[in-house]
Amino acid sequence: MNPADPIITCKDVCVAYGRQEVLHRVNLEIPRGVFLPFTGPNGAGKTTLLRAILGLLPLRRGKIDTPFDRHPAGYMPQQKVIDPLYPVSTRQIVEMGLYPERGWLRRITAPQRRAVDQTLEQLSLAEHADKNFRELSGGMKQKALLARAFVSKAEVFIVDEPTSELDEASEKEVLHHLLQLSREQGKTVLVAHHDLGLMATLTDSMCHVRHGNASIEPVRQESGADA
Amino acid sequence: MMESILSLFTQFPEAMAAGILVSTVCALFGVFVILKHAVFIGITLSEVAACGVAAAFLLGIPPFAGSTVLVLAAVSVMAYPLEKQRIPRDTLMGVIFIAASALSVLLVSKSGTGLAEVRSLLYGDLILASGSDLVVLFLVLIPALLVFLLFFRPVLYTFLDRDAARVLGIKTFVWEALFFIVLGLIISATSRIAGALLIFCYLVVSPATAMILSKRLKRVLIISPLMAAASTLAGMVASFHYDLPTNQTICMVSCILFICSAAVSALIKRVQR
Repeated sequence: MNPADPIITCKDVCVAYGRQEVLHRVNLEIPRGVFLPFTGPNGAGKTTLLRAILGLLPLRRGKIDTPFDRHPAGYMPQQKVIDPLYPVSTRQIVEMGLYPERGWLRRITAPQRRAVDQTLEQLSLAEHADKNFRELSGGMKQKALLARAFVSKAEVFIVDEPTSELDEASEKEVLHHLLQLSREQGKTVLVAHHDLGLMATLTDSMCHVRHGNASIEPVRQESGADA
Repeated sequence: MMESILSLFTQFPEAMAAGILVSTVCALFGVFVILKHAVFIGITLSEVAACGVAAAFLLGIPPFAGSTVLVLAAVSVMAYPLEKQRIPRDTLMGVIFIAASALSVLLVSKSGTGLAEVRSLLYGDLILASGSDLVVLFLVLIPALLVFLLFFRPVLYTFLDRDAARVLGIKTFVWEALFFIVLGLIISATSRIAGALLIFCYLVVSPATAMILSKRLKRVLIISPLMAAASTLAGMVASFHYDLPTNQTICMVSCILFICSAAVSALIKRVQR
């Protein structure tokens, strides 16, 4: 595959919930290695588009080409998806990201354990590793889900509102890690985020999702001032 | 106590072996039944299995065959995607539960002996387990246990975070279907001797006790079958000594253990504060 080829391509993508079409003929070519925020008002279809790219939603029409058959995406949903009833530790949540390597039965290897430890350390979660996931604060839960995505060795990371439950310092920390993934490791990072102004300070292009349509546009200085 | 247990093992070896096997396997699967918020599925399938046994009596076919056919049919109906329909899944289960409960009484009422059989269907009697019952239990429960151990990870991830599991390449529909089919087979195989009430008890009470006692999944998966086996042994000894119905005594011992565990856990939390 040519590195200049887009890593994800959406061709005439339509997604509907029942009879209501939420995305109408979306055409996107997402370049490899970008940090690409998906912005737009609530209900515009940001999360729907990212879920369609992940293969979690059936397409009414169109086609999405991704490398996920060979390299599953690193996915960070919103933290409320984990039922607090589950007696699982933060470490167990993070180790879930190793499933493509471990499969049904393989035990965790020493390098994999180190990778989990390093990721927990990197996200300031080391001291909470053995805590029950339900005992973590909202922000820490989000960081644990981010850590799960990080350990998966994915090429593409898809992150849904990563900072919605975080305080300002943690928000900066998480965004810094996501930017690092893209700038230092050449990973593609797609982030649904409501704060257009903040995103405009971090990147030079954004995917604007409005009224079920989406387009990648360069960041204009005034777009930062809008937010 | 040890002496009484050994004496029961000598007098009723099949019943004791069946009790331990049924209790441990059901209590293990029960942890996932609770985590999946599928407790009502447990009681519904137990009731459907009882109905299948009743139908088998009437048709003169092996009870396991009758209960398996009906339970697998019920699992298929429950697995049907209802998102586009107007009724929620638990409502559908409610309908199946009521139909199965009523039908088992109606079927048995036509089979000759009547109410005594209905009682045996609904409540069973572990102490009467025979050698052939034990063979059926081994043939179904041991493979079910192996399935649980082999596929624990994809099933856990499917239940824990379905979307993330799908993204990681886990065929969530397959694992969820497999879990409920195996659960259905376990309930079919055990319903003839354990009865709907005791199966439901093993699926719910012992796992709930384990979840009160530990917040570590691995420990919960060890404590739950241990609690179920302990309740079974203690219940059988008590029922034998005090001439009480076996299954109900086991259920009461399980519930007492649950209440004691909840009380101890609350006390510990209070002291720690």
